[in-house]
Order: sequence, then structure tokens, then C-alpha cells
Amino acid sequence: MKGLLSYVAKRLLWMLLTIWIVFTVSFVLMRSVPGNPFGGERNVPPAIERQLRARYNLDASPTQQYVEYLGNVVRGDLGWSYRLEDYSVNQVIAEGFPVSASLAIFALVFAIVLGVTAGVISAVYRGSVADAGMMAAAVMGIAVPNFVMASLAILLFVFGLNLFPAAGWGTLRQVALPAICLGLPVAAYIARLMRTGMLEMLTKEHVRTAYAKGLSKRAVIFKHVLPGAMLPVVSYLGPATARVLTGSLVLEKIFALPGMGSHFIYAATQRDYTLAMGMVLTYTVLLFVMNTLVDVSYAIIDPRVKLQ
Amino acid sequence: MPPEIRRGFVVFAGVVALGALIWAAQFKSIGPADLSFQNGTDPKTLDPHRATGQPESRILFSIFKGLLEMVPGGTPDPETGLQPLVPGPAVAKSYTVSDDGRVYQFQLRDDATWNDGVPINAHDFVWSWTRMLHPETACEYGFQLYALPFAEEYNKAIVAEGDRVEVELWDRNGESPGSEPNIQNFPRGTMVYGTLKQILKPEAPVIPDDASDDVADRINGDWQAEWVYVVDVAEFDDQGNVDWDQVTSTESFCQSVTSSATNDDVTQVHHVLVAFDKLGGVEAVDDLTLVVNLDDPLPYFPYLVAYYPTFPVPRHCIKEHGMPLWTKPENIVTNGPYQVGMRLLRDRVRMVKNPRYFDADNVSISVIDAMSTESANTALNMYETGQLDWITDPPTTLMETLRERDDFLSAPQLTVYFYRINTKRPPMDDPRVRRAIAMAIDRTQIVEQVTKAGQVPAYSLVPPGIAGYESPPGLEPDLQEAKQLLTEAGFPGGVGFPKVTILYNTQDTHRAIAEVIQQQLQNNLNIKLEIQNMEWGSYLDKVNQFDYDIARAGWVADYPDPNTFLDMWVTDGPQNSTGWSNPQFDQLIRDAAAEGRPDLRMKLLAEAESLWIQDMPVIPIYFYVSLNMVKPHVKGFAPTPQDVHPLQLLSLGDRASVAGKSAQAPAESALASSSPTTVAAQRSDGESP
Repeated sequence: MKGLLSYVAKRLLWMLLTIWIVFTVSFVLMRSVPGNPFGGERNVPPAIERQLRARYNLDASPTQQYVEYLGNVVRGDLGWSYRLEDYSVNQVIAEGFPVSASLAIFALVFAIVLGVTAGVISAVYRGSVADAGMMAAAVMGIAVPNFVMASLAILLFVFGLNLFPAAGWGTLRQVALPAICLGLPVAAYIARLMRTGMLEMLTKEHVRTAYAKGLSKRAVIFKHVLPGAMLPVVSYLGPATARVLTGSLVLEKIFALPGMGSHFIYAATQRDYTLAMGMVLTYTVLLFVMNTLVDVSYAIIDPRVKLQ
Repeated sequence: MPPEIRRGFVVFAGVVALGALIWAAQFKSIGPADLSFQNGTDPKTLDPHRATGQPESRILFSIFKGLLEMVPGGTPDPETGLQPLVPGPAVAKSYTVSDDGRVYQFQLRDDATWNDGVPINAHDFVWSWTRMLHPETACEYGFQLYALPFAEEYNKAIVAEGDRVEVELWDRNGESPGSEPNIQNFPRGTMVYGTLKQILKPEAPVIPDDASDDVADRINGDWQAEWVYVVDVAEFDDQGNVDWDQVTSTESFCQSVTSSATNDDVTQVHHVLVAFDKLGGVEAVDDLTLVVNLDDPLPYFPYLVAYYPTFPVPRHCIKEHGMPLWTKPENIVTNGPYQVGMRLLRDRVRMVKNPRYFDADNVSISVIDAMSTESANTALNMYETGQLDWITDPPTTLMETLRERDDFLSAPQLTVYFYRINTKRPPMDDPRVRRAIAMAIDRTQIVEQVTKAGQVPAYSLVPPGIAGYESPPGLEPDLQEAKQLLTEAGFPGGVGFPKVTILYNTQDTHRAIAEVIQQQLQNNLNIKLEIQNMEWGSYLDKVNQFDYDIARAGWVADYPDPNTFLDMWVTDGPQNSTGWSNPQFDQLIRDAAAEGRPDLRMKLLAEAESLWIQDMPVIPIYFYVSLNMVKPHVKGFAPTPQDVHPLQLLSLGDRASVAGKSAQAPAESALASSSPTTVAAQRSDGESP
């Protein structure tokens, strides 16, 4: 337990350092690309541009801007968005995050349930038609990009079967399609990991011993094979979370979802300095925290792993 | 880790996962709207003084009302049968214009109120226009009121000795001498009025030769902040009247903290500006009478006061909440047929009927959702499955199929797609070269094979369809003449023509058009062009810094008058960006502005356009058409030249009974099938590249 706490504390320090580096690099990069946040086809008089710069503190020296901005971020104030003028960056994130999180949760749960089930079945019935079929589907699932998947899913489920609405957010039926499209590639990967893990466990001596003791197949698989075979899947959950969080950028557009992903893209192309920074930092924290959680849980469930 | 903890952890993880799933499945039900339409993206803001672009305008026209509003009227265009929109009474029930066209007197309705019940009076307009023009508001449409005396000087913060000025002391809410500024320009700090006696300027800074415009502006700005303004302060009563001749004292003011701190006699201020609202440009004679005095007799002035930047904003609400908090749905106070019900980022702005609107009886639809749906394909899917009733951006790839449908409505629009030319760079500093290129481009191929929606090839600048104006003949394609011109310019058969690049902002249609033109010029004139793609921000930078050869752009009419297309090309005009300058052209534009007789004015403008065509600083490519797909049960929707569709004019028929019928209202279906210019593609101007 002590090791765990000190590990978490160490990770926390690393996270702060990472955030600071990410902040600094983004700050420098954003200000060195051409274009400015007030650029529009209609040029504004210099007096007005000067006022705008003053409003966003862009008239200060770069060092001064950096220090003041960093101070605000440390206090948790990400500033006002340049382009969505009626919103502060905190508000944008507060509105977008629950949507992205909700979608990610559905996609992940769907991916784990489907992936694990498929993996177990193909391992247990190794060499059968079901095994071959599912593994072929898994390869497809990994290879086909999710916007293609989404288009096919819309054709089939929206226009073919009239099961789901075409796009939008606000009901369970509206979440289903994007969550499936987002979760499928992850499910495919998990299925393959699960199958490999199962096959490896099935040859282990303690499993043979269990069979020899006369335990039923079901009991052996659930008690002695599954827990060990799950370990690679648990360790994959970190990257999987990253994948569903970042992979939703495209799907948000196709399904018109009000998540965070689209802000990320627009903030960058429209030179919305504060919003872009807010997005970069949010994703950094999110990915770091999720990876740490996965590492910690991995250490808890697998006695062989020591946290360093 | 002991096994109990391990087992416990697995259970714990399961519970967390279940909890997360339950949390994720919670949705706040918001109920459906009566009408949903594709608005394209989130509005940047709901502040009429800060907004630009179509998504904002669709909402602002519905939640705010100005002196006048755009309503169908006037004679339909003889060629297309298109019904124009003209300014009709709104908050002003009537207005009169003086004979010389310079004085407008608006009579306000006595029953117009904000949606919180506070009455709207003429003073609200004076206050709103002052806020719109104030440099700190940074309204992009400030120029629309430049015909008012001192409006431009006020907006650009230009003052000269002898001007009657307003001085805003450094005492806005939360400010003390030397403190950080409060960026709330309205409500203002204490105002002092007087006559500017003298400006004491420190030595002008040396601007390095290699400094960019940005840097030069900044150095100049810093220098101007150090100026000390000596003002004869005038007497000023509670009613806001200033007696300019009654000087009470002489004081010195300065914007800079350092100068005012080091010198006790100098007071720190926010601005010293011409006293726009005290100089008679716009005056509230009484609560219900607003008088506007113009420098020039603008025949299109009524259009400007029917456009949202000049709409009134709620003074009491802005004073209470400040900017930008006043635009939050829970705070905002509006005066239009609709009010803001809710605003969900990247999702929708819900508008509900405003029961206090003076004409509420004639507003038919109760709840309207402006959906932020961006993707054209997604919007079409939603339209087809009944989630949207009106889409504003049908996908180009399906244009050939869609334009055959009865619910596809399109009409010529006052918008032009063009190629800017950097006239400072050889070889295109030679008008003969520019004319040769213009004559060698086959626009018909572009509109038929690339944009495919019935756009009209453009050879002149001003789109057809403006009443009373006819463009002079443009440079029609003529290969013989083009080759001849190129030879005269010193490039016989294209030999020796230097490398020239077409710059465009990232979008498939722009690329396709550039490629077609590249091909055409290669085949027709043996000129080799390169094409370069840039993302919007970088593209704008390049164009504004004259770091390009040819750059694509578009221009949407701000008001239905040729002037909106022509006056941008005056020497050093902010949107000129071509380096082109023709004193004769400038003079014609100035003469037209001062000309009171409409016929003569149009003639002057046509003359200016013909000069422009001769010089070809810009190559027009095509005129846009508006594109909308509207479900048959939506009544009252008609294409308009400016693609403006007031929501309060729409009503809903019975969905079921019209679902089977394919015909629209007769006028619309006639337009959709008979007009040669029915369909369009890419909407890609201004702020939405």
C-alpha cells in the first residue's frame, strides 16, 4: 500500500512537469505560426486591433504574457475563448467534456464486453468456424478507419433499418451508433489480445492440474484461465482510453456530437490561443490520469507487477 | 498485494464501471423544436456588435429588431422572378427623408419593449450606435455608419486639435489610478467633455525599415499612448447636454500610466475621442423620435439600419452583467420576435417566441432550433430522416441529383468569387498581362464541371440583380486578344513568363477551381502556374502582407448596392490588398457617394466599374447562387438575393398532408425549374473558409 501511494505521488509530480512542458511548448508554437486570432477577411483599423490585443493581454511582452498566463492556468483559469467570445475556456470544456466522456464510456464498455466475449469464444473453440470468422472480423475492425465504419453504419442502421437517428445528441438511441463505431476497432484489438492470452493460459500447468482434479470446463475457464488472460487486456486499457478519446474527433463531426474534439481542431485552425491551450492541457491531464489509473490497477490485480 | 485486496479491487472496478455507465446514460430531455434548421456552426457571439457571418446573422435577425427590418417587397427581378427584400418598418413605425437625402427622421413605436418589459426609446439607439462605434467594442461593421459625421474619427480614434472631444477617466468599475484596466468599455467611467486645445507629442519613434506593418502599428500605437491632450473642459449638465463654449477649466490627459504618474497635472484616461454622440450625427429629439444626419446622401441607408450591427442593444442588461456575460442565455435581453431559450455549444441555439414582441400575433412558429451541424453530409442525412427541416449547405458531391428535386431552392445571390492579383509584382504589374489572363479563363467550364450548381460566370465585378444598376461589359474570353496582349507585354507565346503561384485557402472546391485554371492557362497561353494551399489564418496573413501573386477570395454584399462591391478597391482600402490604385476610380467613388440623384449615382458607379475592368486588379470568376433545401411543410420560405430568410415569416403546414405532395408554392417551383441559374455550391466566404 505504501509503495502504491509513493508511486501515485511520483506520478503526480511527473504529471505536473509534463503539463508545464506541454504548456510551454504549446505557448511558443502557437505564437510562432503565422496568422493571428483577430484575422478576418474584413480588416479592422489599427486602433481597433490594438484594443483587441489589449483585451487579451497580447500587447504585453512575450515573457510577461507567459508568466501571467501560466499563473492563471495554475489557478485553474484558462481564460476567455478568442473565437467563441461568449464563453470562457472552462465553460467550453465543462460543456464538451461530459459528452466526450459519456461517449468514451459507452464505447469502452461496449468494446470490453464484445472484445472479451469474442476472444474467449474463439480461444475456447479454437479452429472452429466461429473462431475464424471472429478473428477475420477483428482484423477488419482494426484495419477499417472509423469514418468508413461510420458511413457504412449510417447506411445500414439509419437508412436501411431505420433503427437509429442520423445524428445529434441527447438520447440513448443517438449515442448508440457513434459509440459502436468508436468502440469496434478497440473491441477488435481486445478480442485478439484476449484470444492470445487465453490460449497461453490454457497451456499453463495449473490449468492442466485443474482439469486433472476433475473441475468442469466452465469452472476452469472462469476461475483459472480468465483472470490471467485478462491481464494484457487491462494493460491495453490505457492506450484504449486514449484511442476512444482522440478517435472521437472524426466521429463527432460525422454524428454532429457536441463533444470536445471539434473544439480542438477549430481552436488550432482559427488561432484561438486560449481554447487550443485549454484543449491541449485537458487532453494531457486526461491521458496521464487514465494511464496512471490503469498502471495502478494492473499492479493491484497482477501480483507479479511491482510499481516503480 | 494481499489476495483480498485484489478480489476487492476487481469488485470495486466493476462497481466504478457500472456507475460510470449509469452516469453516462443520464440525458437531460429538452424536447423537440417545431422547426430545426442547419445553421452551419456555433455563432461566435450573440452580441450584435461583435458578430459577423451568416450563422450569427440568422440568429441575430430573429432575436433583435432594429429601426427597420428586411421584408419581401419591391418589384421582382424581371429575369429571375426573384422577390427582393426591402427595409420595412420595425421598431420605427415610419421615417422621413429630407429632400437632399441627408437627414432621416425615425418615428419609433410606443409599444416596442425589451423582452423583460423595459420600453425601447430613441436614446437606446444613440447609446447602441455609440457603443458599436467605440474603438474598444471593435465592431467589424463600424464602417457601416461612417456616413454619420465624426463616426469614422470616433471609430478609428482619430482626434485633431480643435475637435470637440470626450474624455473617459480611468475610473471604470474596479479601477484606481495606475491600476490594471477594466476592459468593460460600456458602462463607461466618468466622462469629461471639452475642446481639444493641443496635443503634446513626445519625439516620434524611429521605425526600423525591416519592421512589418504589425510591428510598425504597435510602435506607433505605443507612441500615441504617450501623447498628452490639453483640453478646455466644457460645462456638462445631468441631462447630458454639453455647453461647449462654457469652459470651466483646462486640463491635461494621457493614456499612458507612466506619463500620468510622473506628472501630477496629467490625468490618466482611457481615451480622448471625438464626442460622437454629442455632435448631432444621431440625436434623440424626444423618447420616440430619432434623427440621423448624414454627411453623404446614402440611398441605401435604410438597408443599413435594417442590418443587425445597427440594432439596439439592451443598455440596462449590459450595464448589469457586462461583456461578455450579458449574452449568456440566462442574462440576455432582446427585442426580436424570438428570445434565446438555451444555447448548447456545438449543438444548437434554441429560440422561443417572445410574447412581448410588438408583432407577436404574426409570429407563427413557437420553438426554433438553430443546429450547429457543420458537415454537409450529416446535415443532409438529418434532413432526409426528418431531424432537420431546412438545410443551408447541401453537399457539392450530390449537387447534380439534389438540384433536380422540388425541395431544392436556389437563386442568384449577391456574392462574387474572384482572384485577387498582387499588382505590385511583375509580371502582373502590367495591366495587359492581367487582362490577358482574365480573357484566357473559361468560366463556363468552371461553373459546369466544378461547382455544378448553376453559378453564373462572372466577367465584371457587380453581380446582376441590383435594381437600377447595370454593369458595364466585362472582359469576355477572347484567346486571340489574350495572346496578342501577352505578346505586347513582352511574353510572346508565353515565353519568358516567370513562375506565378495561385494561393487558396484549404477547401476542395478552391483546389479544383485553381487546377482547372492552371490547366486552362497552360493550354491557352502557355503560362505555367503553381498552386499553393494554405490554411485560413496563414492565407490571410500572406494576402494582407502582399506576399502572393494570385489569391482566391469571395465577397458577399453588405447591402444591395453596387457600392459594397466597388468601394473596397479604393487606394489603400482595408480590403483592397492588391496594391492597385487608380486616382480616377477613387474620385468616381467619392463623387458617387456625394451624389444625391440615384440615376446619376449609378452611372458614376458604372463608370468606376468600367475603369476597374480595364485595369483588372482582380479577376472575377463566378457569381454565387444561394442553396437551400426546405421541407414542403415549411410555408413562407422564398429564395432572396441576399439569402436572408426572416424566421418570423415562416409557418408550418401539416407535415403528413404535404409529405406526399412534391410541389412547392407555385412561385418557388417555377423559379426552381425554369430559371437557368438554379443551383449552387460552396459557401466559403468571409469568416467561414
